[in-house]
Amino acid sequence: MWSYTARRLLYNVPVYLGIVLLLMAALRINDPAYAHLGKNARPEDLEEIRQKLGLDRPFLEQYWALLRDVFTLNLGVKSWTNEGLSVGRMLSESIKPSLAITVPALVLTSAISICIALVSAFFRGRAADKSLMFLAVLGMSVSFLVYIVFGQYLGAYLLTRETGYGVFAIGGYEPGLANWPYYCLLPVLISTIVAMGYDTRFYRAVMVEESGRDYIVTAKAKGASKRKIMFVHMLKNAMIPIITRIMTTLPFLIMGSLLLEVYFNIPGMGRVLYKAIQEQDFPVVQVFVAIFAALFILSNILTDVLYALVDPRVRLS
Amino acid sequence: MRERSRKFLSGRGMRKLRRDRMAMAALAVIGVYLALALLVLLGVPSEDAVQERVAPDNTPGFFARGTAERRLDSAQFHLDSIQRSVRSSDPAKAIAEHRLGTLQLVQVSPEELESRLTEAWRAFDAASALEDDIESPAATARLDELDTAIDALYVQPTGFAAATRFAQLALGTDRQGRSILLRAVYSAKVAVQIGVVSALIAVLIGTLLGAAAGYFGGWVDHLVVWLYSTFSSIPWIVLLMVIATVCRGDAFAPLVERMPLLPVYAAFCLSFWISPCRVVRGEVMKLKELEYVQAAAAVGFGRMRILLRHVIPNTAHLAFINFSLLFIGAIKAEVILSFLGLGVQGTPSWGVMINHAKAEVLNGFFWQIGTATGFMLVLVLAFNVLSDALQDAFDPKHV
Repeated sequence: MWSYTARRLLYNVPVYLGIVLLLMAALRINDPAYAHLGKNARPEDLEEIRQKLGLDRPFLEQYWALLRDVFTLNLGVKSWTNEGLSVGRMLSESIKPSLAITVPALVLTSAISICIALVSAFFRGRAADKSLMFLAVLGMSVSFLVYIVFGQYLGAYLLTRETGYGVFAIGGYEPGLANWPYYCLLPVLISTIVAMGYDTRFYRAVMVEESGRDYIVTAKAKGASKRKIMFVHMLKNAMIPIITRIMTTLPFLIMGSLLLEVYFNIPGMGRVLYKAIQEQDFPVVQVFVAIFAALFILSNILTDVLYALVDPRVRLS
Repeated sequence: MRERSRKFLSGRGMRKLRRDRMAMAALAVIGVYLALALLVLLGVPSEDAVQERVAPDNTPGFFARGTAERRLDSAQFHLDSIQRSVRSSDPAKAIAEHRLGTLQLVQVSPEELESRLTEAWRAFDAASALEDDIESPAATARLDELDTAIDALYVQPTGFAAATRFAQLALGTDRQGRSILLRAVYSAKVAVQIGVVSALIAVLIGTLLGAAAGYFGGWVDHLVVWLYSTFSSIPWIVLLMVIATVCRGDAFAPLVERMPLLPVYAAFCLSFWISPCRVVRGEVMKLKELEYVQAAAAVGFGRMRILLRHVIPNTAHLAFINFSLLFIGAIKAEVILSFLGLGVQGTPSWGVMINHAKAEVLNGFFWQIGTATGFMLVLVLAFNVLSDALQDAFDPKHV
């Protein structure tokens, strides 16, 4: 087991080195200091912020410095636009709002999609299955942005206007469990509706695949009812691909739902990064993307290791 | 290679696809969009026509008059703009040149026009005097009078001009009085252009890299796997944003000026090649163990020849499936990029339209967002159905 974990870790070292290399090169194609300060900047100012961040040093030196900072989590670099705020502070402040949306959304989406997929697979080939699957494809064909715009209109404007009672906020965020439904429930619901089409189709395909296996035939032969086959035999075995799917989406939780955060003004990681990109806040963009990638890779490795724990055959490959 | 590709087009998968009625319907729909795109390329509607003001702001579609308040606003817009022409330093010239889409002012003397305008203003004042009770029958009658008075100021279009006006107003106008229908049709071209270019290039890069990795193995394989692991370890939306932002910087300014869609293409191509690459690599690894490839090697064909003429053509079905999926990806990602302010600029696109419509929705005006969504929905739905059918026909084991 340990050797497998070590192999996975070692395998991802060159990948991470590559990400940081490409990222730093891409961000230096346009002079970051110049892009931030604009055309009318004085040369002394440009020189000053370049020196502060070490942009005037050789590329390799900057490369090692960034890698060292990320690995030791020494994120004291100051943001260019949020005066005095360190990147590490911005990161730790924005991670909670992001998770407050993505985690409930993942749970809700998975639960609902698995139920619909079961129903659909149960009525496989009949009108109920066909119409559910058509609905899923229809839902997948509408833009994410349209869901957000209409979701906000219906949930935050129309509902408030018609009932005279503000159930959902138009935007914004306050920490604390008591404030969660007011600020976060609407984005969570929207995100669930958007993701449902994809997930339902995937889970249905898994169930249909599972229903063709030998053990189902055996169960049928021994006289088990269709319902028992569905919920006891099949669901249990379908859990492996289902869990794999959920685990592979875990890394995306960190990023948060950038679009929802931007639209609903939720100060999560996605929105912080988006604003940093817009305002040419170079240190924040560089460190945020580097950290995202690191977390992404780490959670991938975690998924692999957990998977190997469950299914020992994986370790050998 | 000719033999192989003929086999692909007449093989079992193709027969299965042809029998799939949904898939054929989807292909027909895609054909209609391609025809629309061609029409736009031929200049109907032209680039100027989609930027031109044809009516007051947010005119509802289907020639509906809308609420009484809206009718008053719209009347005020007409009267104000005509008044500006009448009061200008050279009224005769201004009146002759006054245009609102295909509408032009009646060709009478400025004095005559001014008296008709005064008449219309009087009707306007009479109607707006009833503002407190604007929905009453009396007020409606006043509003009808006002509309007649305004109609008397314009030459009513006939023939081709009337048809043009019909098309311009069929689905209403946006916040700058531009025709929503024409903009949505023009966007079909932009969408097809973005979809075809980015999906084609991404599939090409992915297939070549994936096939090379799968076929040659060794360090080529390691390099390609490293490359796509690297790219796929950055969340795709971050990747899109970073690439689009870099392409909008000074370093690429001269290129972007000549090709405004370059940042969009670059972002999509660089993030979309990963999935075809992965799939093709796996397929080629399987194919190269097959007898026909070994037979080709035994005959003494070179490795490049086997790869290009015998292995890659046999992954054609994957290219089709991936093209279809990436086309959808490109159209949907365009909307997201446009919302983030990094997408299409200068020309209309469905993403730009949906993004502009945000504020209108809060005022209860749904024509723009509805039209853009409808146009997009039909095309994406057709491609979704087609991708499913392609997958069923050529790659049935895929989950």
